[in-house]
Amino acid sequence: MDINDFKKQSEKSYGIALAKQNALEKAKSKMIMAYEGHLFLANAETINLVKTLSELHTSPFYILDTNDNPVEIADPKILLEKLITKNQEVLNTYHETYKQFATLR
Amino acid sequence: MTTGVMMYCFNTEFYRYDKIAAKTIPLVKKNLGVEVTLVTNMETYKLLPPLGFVNYILIDHETGNQIDRKPWHNLDRHRAYNLSPYDTTILLDLDYFCFTDHLLTYANTNEDFLIHDKVYDITGKDSYEFRNNSIIPMLWATVIVFKKTDRAKKIFDMVKYIKENYGYFCSLYRIDFKNFRNDYAFAIALHQMDGMVPTKKIPVSLPTLPAQAKVVKFDQESIVWEMEDKTGIVYDTDVHVIDKGVAHV
Repeated sequence: MDINDFKKQSEKSYGIALAKQNALEKAKSKMIMAYEGHLFLANAETINLVKTLSELHTSPFYILDTNDNPVEIADPKILLEKLITKNQEVLNTYHETYKQFATLR
Repeated sequence: MTTGVMMYCFNTEFYRYDKIAAKTIPLVKKNLGVEVTLVTNMETYKLLPPLGFVNYILIDHETGNQIDRKPWHNLDRHRAYNLSPYDTTILLDLDYFCFTDHLLTYANTNEDFLIHDKVYDITGKDSYEFRNNSIIPMLWATVIVFKKTDRAKKIFDMVKYIKENYGYFCSLYRIDFKNFRNDYAFAIALHQMDGMVPTKKIPVSLPTLPAQAKVVKFDQESIVWEMEDKTGIVYDTDVHVIDKGVAHV
């Protein structure tokens, strides 16, 4: 390997790192969803919270939206379903993109 | 309840914003599927290509502001509240390329005023760091989602007041940029209207392509950019493009 190869490898790595970073940022952005007039992030934390409260607490219960407003959740089943659908839809897309990076290295 | 997009478009002797509008408005119509209102002047209106159904509001824009010693017609943003015909308005900078329907999520909430407080440089260079340029965190007035409420009206009225007394507010908040910037005007207005305490904003960052990145290709699905011998592509995500050369790609 000469210096030009090192340079090429470095540029290629930069490109992959940037694409990965942008894909992750895109995924995070797409995880935001609106429900009953409030914004929620369909991430593992929200899914776990709603699932736990729905199992261990009687409905309705209250959670905070992304702007820290309290929201009454009367039907956790519907919210949970929406959160999981959104989460997996986004992560599925991210996974497809991520697979391309693995082959590029 | 009506929802629509509002944009401002005023050509200058240096930049052809009508050509940027010809790229971004079809994207908004295609991906958001809502009505668009373009606030412009007669001179720019005459140069705009046919864009399908668009509401045009012709105004005499205020002049006098500059950026990099070039005219910058950004002094009328505070009028958006009164000019907007919609119950919920998605107020966008003209150089915001809307490749997704994501903004509809923000229009679908009870929040009456949403704005970004975080920016994300998609070139990975972290070009935007303004912590040392003022004692107030800057907001990004590129995307504002507002409803016709009393609070939202007060915010826009406050922006007008700040614009008229910008020198004073620059000193008060020790803002380095002496030319009028809506980003700071909205930051100050929200700071004051919300009781001088930090409040929550749009929960994700504003994806931005900085001025150093030159757009070399544009189509309805993506933007290709070049910077320092590197090339990148933006697709399936909205992006705020600073390079005004995008008008001619």
